[in-house]
Amino acid sequence: MSLSLAIKTFFRTIRDKSFAADLSAWLERPAPVLPKPSPAPRRTAAIELLATLQREGRLVDFLQESIDGYSDAQIGAAVRDIHRDCSQALDRLFGLQSLRAEAEGESVELPATRDPGAWKLTGRVDSEASQGILRHHGWTLTRHELPAWTGSDDAAWIVAPAEVEIS
Amino acid sequence: MSDPLYSIGIDLGTTNSALAYVSLADEAPTVELLEIPQMTTATVAEHRPLLPSFLYLPTDVEREGGALQLSSVKQASGVVGQFARAQSADVPTRTVAAAKSWLCHSGVDRHQAILPWNAPEDVGKVSPVAASALYLRHLADAWNQHHPEAPFKQQQVTLTVPASFDASARDLTREAAVIAGFPADFILLEEPQAALYAWLAHRGEEWRKELHVGDMILVCDVGGGTTDFTLIAVEDRDGDLELSRLAVGNHILVGGDNMDLTLAFTVQELFKEQGHTLDAWQSVSLWHACRLAKEALLAPDGPESHPVTILGRGSKVIGGSLSVELHRDVAQKTLLEGFLPPCEITDKPQKRPASGFKQLGLPYESDTAITRHLARFLAGHTQTDAAAAKRPTHLLFNGGVFKSAALKERVRSFFEQWFPGEEAPASLSGSEDLDFSVARGAAQYGRIKQAGGVRIRGGTARAYYIGIETAGLAVPGAPRPLHALCVVPHGMEEGTSIQVPSEEIGLVVGEPMHFRFFSSARRVHDQPGLLLTRWDEDDLQETDSLEAELPAAANAEGGYVPVRIETHVTELGVLECWCASTVSDERWKLEFSVREN
Repeated sequence: MSLSLAIKTFFRTIRDKSFAADLSAWLERPAPVLPKPSPAPRRTAAIELLATLQREGRLVDFLQESIDGYSDAQIGAAVRDIHRDCSQALDRLFGLQSLRAEAEGESVELPATRDPGAWKLTGRVDSEASQGILRHHGWTLTRHELPAWTGSDDAAWIVAPAEVEIS
Repeated sequence: MSDPLYSIGIDLGTTNSALAYVSLADEAPTVELLEIPQMTTATVAEHRPLLPSFLYLPTDVEREGGALQLSSVKQASGVVGQFARAQSADVPTRTVAAAKSWLCHSGVDRHQAILPWNAPEDVGKVSPVAASALYLRHLADAWNQHHPEAPFKQQQVTLTVPASFDASARDLTREAAVIAGFPADFILLEEPQAALYAWLAHRGEEWRKELHVGDMILVCDVGGGTTDFTLIAVEDRDGDLELSRLAVGNHILVGGDNMDLTLAFTVQELFKEQGHTLDAWQSVSLWHACRLAKEALLAPDGPESHPVTILGRGSKVIGGSLSVELHRDVAQKTLLEGFLPPCEITDKPQKRPASGFKQLGLPYESDTAITRHLARFLAGHTQTDAAAAKRPTHLLFNGGVFKSAALKERVRSFFEQWFPGEEAPASLSGSEDLDFSVARGAAQYGRIKQAGGVRIRGGTARAYYIGIETAGLAVPGAPRPLHALCVVPHGMEEGTSIQVPSEEIGLVVGEPMHFRFFSSARRVHDQPGLLLTRWDEDDLQETDSLEAELPAAANAEGGYVPVRIETHVTELGVLECWCASTVSDERWKLEFSVREN
């Protein structure tokens, strides 16, 4: 098939000028864009955090479940547990603390140079302002202790394993 | 060997273990907890301050999968810690739990691979000693990983045991620690004493203002699986205060886990009324939920009711969830009436055959009333005379159960009834770190040994007796009467020896000689050489037999050697019994023959 096609093409290219032009254009076309191969699965800190919140607080189950059909009381009963377990996990991993010790609504002194990562200014902002009212005290970590993954690369993207009971 | 840099205290618990340490070099060091690396799921390793005392024995496929690895457990036969604890619910036949309770159960051979109890044959079982050794080894490896500059084997190590452990259980614990690579001169310390050391360290020198000569402290230690009582007196010694351990209770296999389990049974009935039967997985979540409900409902200003929710097992977390309201009066009735019922100081624990939550194998208490065990402990010998019972002036609570203030108050309230007209004992409060105070106290104790400070004097917690069959006319069908010879008095101090005054005992040459061995926590006045001809079964407990074998070549007349018994308590608290020949200089050590059971 390839050989007969090559011979046919050879003779037609010599005889037929417009065919030769088309063929030439076709041969010089840009290579088709292939989708980039996805990076090799790697266990990232983000996956580990998600897996921890699912494992200890069932957070992924909760967010993936449609809650339309349930009464507020049903949701409330489950959320109490999810809330407690997730916040315990966050506390253990990150030791979350208020960034500012002042109560919200109180006046706070602003430093001369303020890191936009630490201060979000709203209202009549100007660089001269030396104080303002604290509207949100902010949050900060006091530690960063994510669990260490010992599983295989194949399972790196898995947030929760399938559970099978053998009877 | 270089001088130790740290004092390490290890609490080997029935359900959780912990390691605390304190520098020996610093002037005013603080006690730190070691964050112990462990698997929390099959594929995740984390650091936690508590190491659950559970061992999971993986299948061959899991073993080869390679994920179940931590540097410290690579060589071991199983996985220790949080993951194993979770597996105990999911895969109970492959999980070893409560190895410590088996360690002091003289009804089984503790060197034999019997755990998990009732597991199928293809599970590579382990012995209670081996399981305990694995937990200790994990802790030692974790230490070495964190402190490569201070090898575990060269530190001052203190390991705690229940005060109620008898000599043979202590010996087995020591054996497990030696297998785990502990330094040869590590110390065994009783848990209630460790709790008191933790309190003393917390108070600093202030304790001398809080306690006075004549005071008596009751350490009330209710752990997950066991209850342990100890009385410690404050005495005067050359004008300075001194602490002296007076008495310890018997080993009582009832604890906080029983409470949670009992409440779980109650709640399970509530679910049944709703038409839901819970499976094994749900029962575990229920158990956990009940523990939290217990603490909320028993709080002094607790709510009238508390929801107990079990989340759905599948991915439908809300749709599959079950919930009931547990009322305060139900919880109170179940727990307070079941475990801390009112009783008289002269009451004794009731002996009933089966109880609702009896696990096959371990001799769990049939009477779960901790108050009756406590009354029995305080009343001691004087079983009918309420006035002669010991009245503690201070209470020190230990164990996770007492995170609930209501339970502390409940225990305290009984003293007003038992000792009318007297002031109720004061609570020694301060360090509210109930999960870790034993490990912390043990680390402090090691430091005190090195650097000096107030110590609790105590000696042996029990008196020990050797059973001797009486010579006499044999009566067909009746065993020869047995007498008990006291060989170690209560309170025999470390580093002392006793030659027991007695008749000569004939020791047969060339074959093992067995001695039945008894102990008593209550007979505190018996002196060595005293021969008991009869005793109350509650007073003397039989423990593992002692065994000695004399080489057949020993120069002996008539096939036996006349001996007397010598006993010795080493500086490290190890009890040794020797047979000393009365005709030569030869001595033979009596060993616990726990393998023979």
